[in-house]
Amino acid sequence: MLEGAELYFNVDHGYLEGLVRGCKAGLLTERDYVNLVQCETLEDLKIHLQTTDYGNFLANQTNPLTVSKIDTEMRKKLCSEFEYFRNHSLEPLSTFFTYMTCSYMIDNVILLMNGALQKKSVKEILVKCHPLGRFTEMEAVNIAETPSDLFNAVLIETPLAPFFQDCMSENILDELNIELLRNKLYKSYLEAFYKFCKNHGDVTAEIMCPILEFEADRRAFIITLNSFGTELSKEDRETLFPTCGKLHPEGLRLLAQAEDFEQMKRVAEHYGVYKPLFEAVGDGSGGKTLEDVFYEHEVQMNVLAFNRQFHYGVFYAYTKLKEQEMRNIVWIAECISQRHRTKINNYIPIL
Amino acid sequence: MSGKDRIEIFPSRMAQTIMKARLKGAQTGRNLLKKKSDALTLRFRQILKKIIETKMLMGEVMREAAFSLAEAKFTAGDFSTTVIQNVNKAQVKIRAKKDNVAGVTLPVFEHYQEGTDSYELTGLARGGEQLAKLKRNYAKAVELLVELASLQSSSPGLNVPLPISSQSWMRESEKSSIG
Repeated sequence: MLEGAELYFNVDHGYLEGLVRGCKAGLLTERDYVNLVQCETLEDLKIHLQTTDYGNFLANQTNPLTVSKIDTEMRKKLCSEFEYFRNHSLEPLSTFFTYMTCSYMIDNVILLMNGALQKKSVKEILVKCHPLGRFTEMEAVNIAETPSDLFNAVLIETPLAPFFQDCMSENILDELNIELLRNKLYKSYLEAFYKFCKNHGDVTAEIMCPILEFEADRRAFIITLNSFGTELSKEDRETLFPTCGKLHPEGLRLLAQAEDFEQMKRVAEHYGVYKPLFEAVGDGSGGKTLEDVFYEHEVQMNVLAFNRQFHYGVFYAYTKLKEQEMRNIVWIAECISQRHRTKINNYIPIL
Repeated sequence: MSGKDRIEIFPSRMAQTIMKARLKGAQTGRNLLKKKSDALTLRFRQILKKIIETKMLMGEVMREAAFSLAEAKFTAGDFSTTVIQNVNKAQVKIRAKKDNVAGVTLPVFEHYQEGTDSYELTGLARGGEQLAKLKRNYAKAVELLVELASLQSSSPGLNVPLPISSQSWMRESEKSSIG
Protein backbone atom coordinates (compact mmCIF):
# COMPACT_ATOMS: atom_id res chain seq x y z
CA MET A 1 0.00 0.00 0.00
CA LEU A 2 2.18 2.81 1.24
CA GLU A 3 5.77 2.47 0.15
CA GLY A 4 8.36 4.05 2.35
CA ALA A 5 6.76 2.98 5.60
CA GLU A 6 9.50 4.68 7.56
CA LEU A 7 7.95 8.02 6.64
CA TYR A 8 4.43 7.31 7.84
CA PHE A 9 4.53 4.41 10.25
CA ASN A 10 5.42 6.25 13.43
CA VAL A 11 2.53 8.69 13.08
CA ASP A 12 -0.04 6.04 13.86
CA HIS A 13 1.85 3.13 15.31
CA GLY A 14 5.13 4.43 16.69
CA TYR A 15 4.05 4.46 20.33
CA LEU A 16 2.82 0.90 20.21
CA GLU A 17 5.92 -0.36 18.40
CA GLY A 18 8.10 1.23 21.06
CA LEU A 19 5.97 -0.35 23.76
CA VAL A 20 6.11 -3.81 22.27
CA ARG A 21 9.86 -3.60 21.87
CA GLY A 22 10.11 -2.68 25.53
CA CYS A 23 7.98 -5.71 26.43
CA LYS A 24 10.14 -7.92 24.24
CA ALA A 25 13.20 -6.82 26.20
CA GLY A 26 11.52 -8.29 29.26
CA LEU A 27 11.40 -11.83 27.87
CA LEU A 28 13.29 -14.41 29.91
CA THR A 29 16.90 -14.96 28.85
CA GLU A 30 19.05 -18.08 28.93
CA ARG A 31 20.35 -17.12 32.37
CA ASP A 32 16.82 -16.84 33.76
CA TYR A 33 16.00 -20.29 32.43
CA VAL A 34 19.15 -21.75 34.01
CA ASN A 35 18.03 -20.29 37.34
CA LEU A 36 14.50 -21.64 36.96
CA VAL A 37 15.73 -25.12 36.08
CA GLN A 38 17.70 -25.25 39.31
CA CYS A 39 14.67 -24.58 41.51
CA GLU A 40 13.63 -27.34 43.87
CA THR A 41 10.06 -26.28 44.57
CA LEU A 42 7.38 -24.11 43.01
CA GLU A 43 7.96 -21.51 45.72
CA ASP A 44 11.56 -21.13 44.54
CA LEU A 45 10.24 -20.72 41.01
CA LYS A 46 7.92 -17.94 42.17
CA ILE A 47 10.80 -16.16 43.90
CA HIS A 48 12.94 -16.35 40.77
CA LEU A 49 10.12 -15.04 38.61
CA GLN A 50 9.76 -12.05 40.89
CA THR A 51 13.18 -10.81 39.75
CA THR A 52 12.10 -10.88 36.10
CA ASP A 53 9.54 -8.80 34.25
CA TYR A 54 6.80 -10.93 35.77
CA GLY A 55 7.24 -9.26 39.11
CA ASN A 56 4.70 -10.02 41.79
CA PHE A 57 2.10 -11.57 39.54
CA LEU A 58 1.70 -14.48 41.94
CA ALA A 59 1.56 -12.32 45.04
CA ASN A 60 -2.15 -12.78 45.66
CA GLN A 61 -2.20 -16.53 45.30
CA THR A 62 -3.03 -18.60 48.36
CA ASN A 63 -1.08 -21.72 49.23
CA PRO A 64 -0.51 -24.25 47.86
CA LEU A 65 0.90 -22.99 44.60
CA THR A 66 -0.02 -25.19 41.64
CA VAL A 67 1.10 -25.22 38.05
CA SER A 68 -2.36 -24.33 36.78
CA LYS A 69 -2.42 -21.18 38.95
CA ILE A 70 0.91 -20.09 37.48
CA ASP A 71 -0.44 -20.75 33.99
CA THR A 72 -3.65 -18.77 34.58
CA GLU A 73 -1.81 -15.78 36.02
CA MET A 74 0.70 -15.68 33.15
CA ARG A 75 -2.11 -15.84 30.64
CA LYS A 76 -3.91 -12.98 32.39
CA LYS A 77 -0.78 -10.88 32.16
CA LEU A 78 -0.35 -11.58 28.44
CA CYS A 79 -4.00 -10.80 27.83
CA SER A 80 -3.86 -7.46 29.60
CA GLU A 81 -0.80 -6.47 27.53
CA PHE A 82 -2.50 -7.58 24.31
CA GLU A 83 -5.73 -5.76 25.14
CA TYR A 84 -3.76 -2.61 25.86
CA PHE A 85 -2.07 -2.78 22.46
CA ARG A 86 -5.33 -3.53 20.75
CA ASN A 87 -7.26 -0.73 22.42
CA HIS A 88 -4.67 1.85 21.44
CA SER A 89 -4.29 0.73 17.87
CA LEU A 90 -5.50 2.44 14.70
CA GLU A 91 -6.35 0.97 11.34
CA PRO A 92 -4.94 -1.08 9.70
CA LEU A 93 -3.13 -2.31 12.81
CA SER A 94 -6.46 -3.00 14.53
CA THR A 95 -7.53 -5.27 11.67
CA PHE A 96 -4.19 -7.04 12.08
CA PHE A 97 -4.95 -7.55 15.78
CA THR A 98 -8.41 -8.87 14.91
CA TYR A 99 -6.82 -11.41 12.59
CA MET A 100 -4.50 -12.46 15.38
CA THR A 101 -7.38 -13.09 17.74
CA CYS A 102 -9.31 -15.12 15.16
CA SER A 103 -7.31 -18.25 15.85
CA TYR A 104 -8.33 -18.18 19.53
CA MET A 105 -11.89 -17.35 18.52
CA ILE A 106 -12.00 -20.48 16.38
CA ASP A 107 -11.08 -22.63 19.37
CA ASN A 108 -13.64 -20.89 21.55
CA VAL A 109 -16.39 -21.26 18.96
CA ILE A 110 -15.72 -24.98 18.62
CA LEU A 111 -15.87 -25.33 22.40
CA LEU A 112 -19.12 -23.38 22.60
CA MET A 113 -20.72 -25.29 19.75
CA ASN A 114 -19.86 -28.57 21.39
CA GLY A 115 -21.22 -27.43 24.70
CA ALA A 116 -24.41 -26.04 23.21
CA LEU A 117 -25.06 -29.29 21.36
CA GLN A 118 -24.64 -31.25 24.56
CA LYS A 119 -26.89 -28.83 26.44
CA LYS A 120 -24.20 -27.85 28.87
CA SER A 121 -24.51 -24.58 30.73
CA VAL A 122 -22.92 -21.68 28.88
CA LYS A 123 -21.44 -20.20 32.05
CA GLU A 124 -19.13 -23.15 32.69
CA ILE A 125 -17.86 -23.19 29.15
CA LEU A 126 -17.29 -19.43 29.08
CA VAL A 127 -14.87 -19.79 31.96
CA LYS A 128 -12.79 -22.23 29.94
CA CYS A 129 -12.64 -20.13 26.78
CA HIS A 130 -9.40 -18.49 25.83
CA PRO A 131 -9.56 -14.84 26.90
CA LEU A 132 -7.87 -13.53 23.76
CA GLY A 133 -10.62 -15.05 21.65
CA ARG A 134 -13.46 -13.29 23.36
CA PHE A 135 -16.19 -11.86 21.17
CA THR A 136 -19.41 -10.12 22.09
CA GLU A 137 -21.82 -12.78 20.86
CA MET A 138 -20.40 -15.48 23.09
CA GLU A 139 -23.20 -15.59 25.63
CA ALA A 140 -25.81 -15.84 22.92
CA VAL A 141 -24.62 -19.24 21.83
CA ASN A 142 -27.12 -21.29 23.82
CA ILE A 143 -30.14 -19.99 21.97
CA ALA A 144 -29.32 -22.14 18.97
CA GLU A 145 -30.47 -25.74 18.67
CA THR A 146 -28.38 -26.98 15.78
CA PRO A 147 -25.06 -25.81 14.37
CA SER A 148 -26.68 -24.27 11.29
CA ASP A 149 -29.01 -22.22 13.51
CA LEU A 150 -25.99 -21.23 15.50
CA PHE A 151 -24.27 -20.06 12.38
CA ASN A 152 -27.20 -18.08 11.03
CA ALA A 153 -28.08 -16.44 14.29
CA VAL A 154 -24.84 -15.82 16.09
CA LEU A 155 -21.68 -16.50 14.16
CA ILE A 156 -22.62 -14.48 11.13
CA GLU A 157 -21.87 -11.31 13.12
CA THR A 158 -18.39 -12.34 14.14
CA PRO A 159 -15.21 -11.96 12.09
CA LEU A 160 -15.31 -15.72 11.63
CA ALA A 161 -18.29 -15.65 9.27
CA PRO A 162 -16.31 -15.67 6.00
CA PHE A 163 -14.29 -18.67 7.21
CA PHE A 164 -17.45 -20.66 7.85
CA GLN A 165 -18.80 -19.73 4.46
CA ASP A 166 -15.56 -20.76 2.84
CA CYS A 167 -15.59 -24.22 4.28
CA MET A 168 -18.98 -25.49 3.39
CA SER A 169 -22.65 -24.89 2.98
CA GLU A 170 -24.55 -24.66 6.22
CA ASN A 171 -26.39 -27.94 6.25
CA ILE A 172 -23.18 -29.93 6.29
CA LEU A 173 -22.24 -28.23 9.56
CA ASP A 174 -24.46 -30.65 11.42
CA GLU A 175 -22.71 -33.85 10.46
CA LEU A 176 -19.14 -32.70 10.31
CA ASN A 177 -16.68 -34.03 12.82
CA ILE A 178 -15.70 -31.28 15.20
CA GLU A 179 -11.96 -31.65 14.68
CA LEU A 180 -12.30 -31.52 10.91
CA LEU A 181 -14.37 -28.37 11.28
CA ARG A 182 -11.74 -26.80 13.48
CA ASN A 183 -8.98 -27.54 11.00
CA LYS A 184 -10.99 -26.35 7.99
CA LEU A 185 -11.77 -23.05 9.75
CA TYR A 186 -8.14 -22.62 10.62
CA LYS A 187 -7.14 -23.23 7.00
CA SER A 188 -9.41 -20.50 5.65
CA TYR A 189 -8.37 -18.17 8.47
CA LEU A 190 -4.70 -18.63 7.65
CA GLU A 191 -5.26 -18.03 3.96
CA ALA A 192 -7.26 -14.85 4.68
CA PHE A 193 -4.58 -13.56 7.07
CA TYR A 194 -1.91 -14.25 4.45
CA LYS A 195 -3.84 -12.35 1.81
CA PHE A 196 -4.29 -9.41 4.17
CA CYS A 197 -0.57 -9.21 4.91
CA LYS A 198 0.35 -9.58 1.27
CA ASN A 199 -2.05 -6.83 0.21
CA HIS A 200 -0.69 -4.54 2.86
CA GLY A 201 2.68 -4.85 1.20
CA ASP A 202 5.82 -3.14 2.46
CA VAL A 203 7.91 -4.47 5.34
CA THR A 204 4.90 -6.14 6.97
CA ALA A 205 4.45 -8.41 3.98
CA GLU A 206 8.19 -9.14 3.90
CA ILE A 207 8.17 -10.25 7.51
CA MET A 208 4.72 -11.79 7.98
CA CYS A 209 4.39 -13.73 4.74
CA PRO A 210 7.32 -16.11 5.36
CA ILE A 211 6.09 -16.65 8.92
CA LEU A 212 2.58 -17.49 7.73
CA GLU A 213 3.92 -19.68 4.91
CA PHE A 214 5.88 -21.65 7.45
CA GLU A 215 2.79 -21.97 9.65
CA ALA A 216 0.77 -23.30 6.71
CA ASP A 217 3.42 -25.84 5.71
CA ARG A 218 3.96 -26.89 9.31
CA ARG A 219 0.26 -27.61 9.67
CA ALA A 220 0.32 -29.64 6.47
CA PHE A 221 3.22 -31.76 7.73
CA ILE A 222 1.79 -32.28 11.20
CA ILE A 223 -1.70 -33.13 9.95
CA THR A 224 -0.17 -35.69 7.58
CA LEU A 225 1.96 -37.17 10.35
CA ASN A 226 -0.92 -37.43 12.77
CA SER A 227 -3.33 -38.89 10.27
CA PHE A 228 -1.29 -42.04 9.66
CA GLY A 229 -3.22 -44.92 11.15
CA THR A 230 -6.47 -43.01 11.68
CA GLU A 231 -9.69 -43.13 9.71
CA LEU A 232 -8.97 -39.85 7.98
CA SER A 233 -9.05 -40.49 4.24
CA LYS A 234 -6.50 -38.97 1.87
CA GLU A 235 -9.04 -36.69 0.18
CA ASP A 236 -10.22 -35.39 3.55
CA ARG A 237 -6.64 -34.87 4.57
CA GLU A 238 -5.95 -32.80 1.48
CA THR A 239 -8.89 -30.48 2.20
CA LEU A 240 -7.30 -29.55 5.52
CA PHE A 241 -4.00 -28.31 4.09
CA PRO A 242 -3.69 -24.50 3.96
CA THR A 243 -2.63 -23.43 0.48
CA CYS A 244 -0.70 -20.30 1.34
CA GLY A 245 2.64 -21.99 1.95
CA LYS A 246 5.63 -23.02 -0.09
CA LEU A 247 4.31 -26.55 -0.46
CA HIS A 248 1.38 -25.48 -2.62
CA PRO A 249 0.48 -27.08 -5.03
CA GLU A 250 2.87 -29.95 -5.78
CA GLY A 251 4.09 -30.55 -2.26
CA LEU A 252 0.57 -30.67 -0.86
CA ARG A 253 -0.50 -33.18 -3.48
CA LEU A 254 2.51 -35.37 -2.67
CA LEU A 255 1.87 -35.06 1.05
CA ALA A 256 -1.74 -36.12 0.62
CA GLN A 257 -0.51 -39.37 -0.91
CA ALA A 258 2.14 -40.03 1.71
CA GLU A 259 1.66 -43.06 3.91
CA ASP A 260 4.53 -42.97 6.35
CA PHE A 261 7.19 -40.74 7.78
CA GLU A 262 9.82 -41.68 5.18
CA GLN A 263 7.63 -40.58 2.29
CA MET A 264 6.93 -37.31 4.09
CA LYS A 265 10.64 -36.77 4.56
CA ARG A 266 11.21 -37.29 0.84
CA VAL A 267 8.63 -34.60 0.05
CA ALA A 268 10.39 -32.22 2.43
CA GLU A 269 13.73 -32.85 0.75
CA HIS A 270 12.54 -31.00 -2.34
CA TYR A 271 12.38 -27.77 -0.33
CA GLY A 272 15.58 -26.16 0.88
CA VAL A 273 14.02 -24.75 4.05
CA TYR A 274 12.51 -27.99 5.29
CA LYS A 275 15.27 -30.45 4.42
CA PRO A 276 17.55 -29.49 7.37
CA LEU A 277 14.57 -29.44 9.72
CA PHE A 278 13.66 -33.01 8.93
CA GLU A 279 17.24 -34.09 9.25
CA ALA A 280 17.39 -32.66 12.74
CA VAL A 281 14.63 -34.98 13.91
CA GLY A 282 15.93 -37.73 16.18
CA ASP A 283 14.41 -41.17 15.93
CA GLY A 284 12.09 -42.56 18.60
CA SER A 285 12.80 -41.66 22.19
CA GLY A 286 15.62 -39.39 23.20
CA GLY A 287 15.88 -37.29 20.07
CA LYS A 288 13.84 -34.27 19.13
CA THR A 289 10.43 -34.78 17.66
CA LEU A 290 9.29 -33.08 14.47
CA GLU A 291 7.09 -30.76 16.50
CA ASP A 292 10.04 -29.65 18.66
CA VAL A 293 12.06 -28.86 15.53
CA PHE A 294 9.18 -26.85 14.09
CA TYR A 295 8.73 -24.93 17.34
CA GLU A 296 12.42 -24.00 17.35
CA HIS A 297 12.27 -22.78 13.76
CA GLU A 298 9.16 -20.72 14.51
CA VAL A 299 10.88 -19.11 17.49
CA GLN A 300 13.91 -18.24 15.35
CA MET A 301 11.71 -16.57 12.72
CA ASN A 302 9.84 -14.61 15.38
CA VAL A 303 13.03 -13.35 16.99
CA LEU A 304 14.36 -12.25 13.59
CA ALA A 305 11.19 -10.20 13.04
CA PHE A 306 12.47 -7.70 15.58
CA ASN A 307 15.46 -6.87 13.39
CA ARG A 308 13.32 -4.78 11.03
CA GLN A 309 11.41 -1.69 11.99
CA PHE A 310 8.10 -0.14 10.91
CA HIS A 311 6.03 -3.26 10.47
CA TYR A 312 3.20 -5.07 12.26
CA GLY A 313 5.04 -8.35 12.51
CA VAL A 314 6.58 -7.29 15.83
CA PHE A 315 3.20 -7.61 17.53
CA TYR A 316 2.56 -11.05 16.13
CA ALA A 317 6.09 -12.16 16.96
CA TYR A 318 5.89 -10.82 20.50
CA THR A 319 2.63 -12.63 21.22
CA LYS A 320 3.94 -15.92 19.87
CA LEU A 321 7.23 -15.62 21.76
CA LYS A 322 5.39 -14.81 24.96
CA GLU A 323 3.17 -17.85 24.52
CA GLN A 324 6.22 -20.04 23.98
CA GLU A 325 7.75 -18.60 27.12
CA MET A 326 4.58 -19.45 29.05
CA ARG A 327 4.72 -23.01 27.74
CA ASN A 328 8.39 -23.24 28.76
CA ILE A 329 7.68 -22.01 32.28
CA VAL A 330 4.73 -24.39 32.69
CA TRP A 331 6.93 -27.26 31.47
CA ILE A 332 9.68 -26.46 33.96
CA ALA A 333 7.10 -26.03 36.74
CA GLU A 334 5.53 -29.42 35.94
CA CYS A 335 8.93 -31.15 35.95
CA ILE A 336 9.69 -29.58 39.32
CA SER A 337 6.35 -30.39 40.89
CA GLN A 338 6.33 -33.98 39.62
CA ARG A 339 10.00 -34.42 40.58
CA HIS A 340 10.75 -35.79 37.14
CA ARG A 341 13.80 -33.80 36.23
CA THR A 342 15.31 -35.89 33.45
CA LYS A 343 13.68 -33.92 30.66
CA ILE A 344 13.59 -30.54 32.36
CA ASN A 345 15.92 -29.03 29.77
CA ASN A 346 13.58 -29.80 26.90
CA TYR A 347 12.10 -26.30 26.82
CA ILE A 348 12.55 -24.27 23.64
CA PRO A 349 15.17 -21.55 24.25
CA ILE A 350 14.15 -18.15 22.94
CA LEU A 351 16.85 -15.57 23.48
CA MET B 1 -8.86 -87.70 78.13
CA SER B 2 -11.19 -84.96 79.28
CA GLY B 3 -14.38 -85.84 81.04
CA LYS B 4 -16.88 -83.87 78.95
CA ASP B 5 -15.83 -85.41 75.62
CA ARG B 6 -16.52 -88.91 76.79
CA ILE B 7 -18.87 -90.80 74.52
CA GLU B 8 -21.21 -93.21 76.33
CA ILE B 9 -21.29 -96.53 74.48
CA PHE B 10 -22.23 -100.04 75.28
CA PRO B 11 -19.05 -102.20 75.13
CA SER B 12 -19.88 -104.59 72.32
CA ARG B 13 -18.01 -105.72 69.21
CA MET B 14 -20.41 -103.90 66.91
CA ALA B 15 -20.04 -100.73 68.86
CA GLN B 16 -16.25 -101.03 68.36
CA THR B 17 -16.65 -101.50 64.59
CA ILE B 18 -18.99 -98.53 64.42
CA MET B 19 -16.57 -96.42 66.46
CA LYS B 20 -13.65 -97.41 64.19
CA ALA B 21 -15.65 -96.36 61.13
CA ARG B 22 -16.50 -93.06 62.78
CA LEU B 23 -12.83 -92.52 63.61
CA LYS B 24 -11.87 -93.18 60.00
CA GLY B 25 -14.52 -90.75 58.78
CA ALA B 26 -13.31 -88.08 61.19
CA GLN B 27 -9.70 -88.54 60.10
CA THR B 28 -10.62 -88.24 56.41
CA GLY B 29 -12.66 -85.13 57.15
CA ARG B 30 -9.74 -83.63 59.03
CA ASN B 31 -7.33 -84.31 56.18
CA LEU B 32 -9.66 -82.74 53.66
CA LEU B 33 -10.05 -79.66 55.80
CA LYS B 34 -6.27 -79.44 56.15
CA LYS B 35 -5.94 -79.56 52.39
CA LYS B 36 -8.57 -76.87 51.98
CA SER B 37 -6.90 -74.64 54.55
CA ASP B 38 -3.50 -75.15 52.92
CA ALA B 39 -4.84 -74.34 49.47
CA LEU B 40 -6.55 -71.21 50.74
CA THR B 41 -3.44 -70.07 52.59
CA LEU B 42 -1.30 -70.62 49.52
CA ARG B 43 -3.72 -68.68 47.36
CA PHE B 44 -3.92 -65.89 49.94
CA ARG B 45 -0.14 -65.56 50.08
CA GLN B 46 0.08 -65.50 46.30
CA ILE B 47 -2.53 -62.76 46.13
CA LEU B 48 -0.76 -60.66 48.77
CA LYS B 49 2.54 -60.96 46.92
CA LYS B 50 0.87 -59.94 43.67
CA ILE B 51 -0.82 -57.00 45.39
CA ILE B 52 2.50 -55.67 46.64
CA GLU B 53 4.15 -56.06 43.23
CA THR B 54 1.23 -54.38 41.47
CA LYS B 55 1.17 -51.48 43.90
CA MET B 56 4.87 -50.79 43.33
CA LEU B 57 4.39 -50.96 39.57
CA MET B 58 1.34 -48.72 39.89
CA GLY B 59 3.44 -45.98 41.46
CA GLU B 60 5.84 -46.03 38.51
CA VAL B 61 3.14 -46.18 35.84
CA MET B 62 1.09 -43.33 37.32
CA ARG B 63 4.17 -41.16 37.53
CA GLU B 64 5.02 -41.88 33.90
CA ALA B 65 1.44 -41.18 32.83
CA ALA B 66 1.28 -37.86 34.69
CA PHE B 67 4.56 -36.81 33.09
CA SER B 68 3.36 -37.71 29.61
CA LEU B 69 0.34 -35.48 30.31
CA ALA B 70 2.73 -32.60 30.99
CA GLU B 71 4.61 -33.38 27.76
CA ALA B 72 1.40 -33.44 25.75
CA LYS B 73 0.30 -30.12 27.23
CA PHE B 74 3.67 -28.60 26.30
CA THR B 75 3.25 -29.47 22.63
CA ALA B 76 -0.48 -29.44 22.08
CA GLY B 77 -1.58 -26.64 24.38
CA ASP B 78 -4.53 -27.07 26.71
CA PHE B 79 -6.79 -29.78 25.32
CA SER B 80 -8.42 -30.74 28.62
CA THR B 81 -11.70 -28.89 27.95
CA THR B 82 -12.03 -30.48 24.50
CA VAL B 83 -11.54 -33.93 25.96
CA ILE B 84 -13.98 -33.43 28.84
CA GLN B 85 -16.63 -31.96 26.53
CA ASN B 86 -16.61 -34.92 24.18
CA VAL B 87 -17.10 -37.72 26.69
CA ASN B 88 -19.93 -40.07 25.81
CA LYS B 89 -19.49 -43.86 26.04
CA ALA B 90 -16.81 -45.75 27.93
CA GLN B 91 -14.26 -47.45 25.77
CA VAL B 92 -12.71 -49.74 28.38
CA LYS B 93 -15.19 -51.85 30.33
CA ILE B 94 -14.93 -54.50 33.04
CA ARG B 95 -16.45 -57.96 33.28
CA ALA B 96 -16.73 -59.77 36.61
CA LYS B 97 -16.01 -63.48 36.50
CA LYS B 98 -15.97 -66.16 39.20
CA ASP B 99 -12.94 -68.21 40.04
CA ASN B 100 -13.11 -71.37 42.16
CA VAL B 101 -10.35 -72.15 44.67
CA ALA B 102 -10.90 -75.23 46.83
CA GLY B 103 -14.60 -74.68 46.89
CA VAL B 104 -14.49 -70.93 47.55
CA THR B 105 -15.69 -68.69 44.72
CA LEU B 106 -13.68 -65.52 44.25
CA PRO B 107 -14.56 -62.59 41.96
CA VAL B 108 -12.08 -61.74 39.22
CA PHE B 109 -12.27 -58.60 37.06
CA GLU B 110 -11.35 -58.65 33.44
CA HIS B 111 -11.17 -55.57 31.25
CA TYR B 112 -12.12 -55.43 27.59
CA GLN B 113 -12.27 -52.73 24.95
CA GLU B 114 -15.41 -51.78 23.15
CA GLY B 115 -15.98 -49.30 20.40
CA THR B 116 -13.58 -47.06 18.54
CA ASP B 117 -11.46 -44.28 19.87
CA SER B 118 -13.61 -41.14 19.68
CA TYR B 119 -10.55 -38.97 20.27
CA GLU B 120 -8.70 -40.24 17.23
CA LEU B 121 -8.51 -36.85 15.55
CA THR B 122 -7.82 -34.73 18.63
CA GLY B 123 -4.47 -33.06 18.29
CA LEU B 124 -4.51 -33.50 14.54
CA ALA B 125 -2.80 -30.18 14.01
CA ARG B 126 -0.60 -30.13 17.10
CA GLY B 127 0.75 -32.69 19.46
CA GLY B 128 -0.84 -35.82 18.01
CA GLU B 129 2.22 -37.95 18.74
CA GLN B 130 2.35 -36.90 22.38
CA LEU B 131 -1.39 -37.44 22.73
CA ALA B 132 -1.04 -40.98 21.38
CA LYS B 133 1.71 -41.70 23.91
CA LEU B 134 -0.45 -40.21 26.65
CA LYS B 135 -3.38 -42.43 25.71
CA ARG B 136 -1.16 -45.52 25.80
CA ASN B 137 0.31 -44.65 29.20
CA TYR B 138 -3.05 -44.04 30.81
CA ALA B 139 -4.50 -47.20 29.22
CA LYS B 140 -1.68 -49.14 30.90
CA ALA B 141 -2.47 -47.42 34.19
CA VAL B 142 -6.15 -48.34 33.90
CA GLU B 143 -5.30 -51.99 33.18
CA LEU B 144 -3.10 -52.13 36.25
CA LEU B 145 -5.84 -50.53 38.34
CA VAL B 146 -8.32 -53.18 37.19
CA GLU B 147 -5.88 -55.94 38.13
CA LEU B 148 -5.26 -54.39 41.52
CA ALA B 149 -9.00 -54.04 42.16
CA SER B 150 -9.49 -57.67 41.21
CA LEU B 151 -6.77 -58.82 43.62
CA GLN B 152 -7.95 -56.63 46.45
CA SER B 153 -11.54 -57.76 46.15
CA SER B 154 -10.58 -61.43 46.25
CA SER B 155 -8.42 -61.14 49.38
CA PRO B 156 -11.34 -60.36 51.77
CA GLY B 157 -13.19 -63.11 49.96
CA LEU B 158 -10.52 -65.46 51.26
CA ASN B 159 -10.39 -64.02 54.73
CA VAL B 160 -13.65 -65.61 55.79
CA PRO B 161 -13.33 -69.27 54.70
CA LEU B 162 -9.65 -69.45 55.66
CA PRO B 163 -9.93 -69.12 59.44
CA ILE B 164 -13.16 -71.10 59.46
CA SER B 165 -11.59 -74.07 57.77
CA SER B 166 -8.51 -73.86 59.98
CA GLN B 167 -10.70 -73.70 63.11
CA SER B 168 -12.75 -76.65 61.97
CA TRP B 169 -9.54 -78.47 61.21
CA MET B 170 -8.25 -77.83 64.72
CA ARG B 171 -11.53 -78.98 66.26
CA GLU B 172 -11.43 -82.11 64.16
CA SER B 173 -7.83 -82.85 65.12
CA GLU B 174 -8.77 -82.52 68.80
CA LYS B 175 -11.66 -84.88 68.31
CA SER B 176 -9.70 -87.47 66.40
CA SER B 177 -6.80 -87.36 68.84
CA ILE B 178 -9.22 -88.24 71.60
CA GLY B 179 -11.02 -91.03 69.75
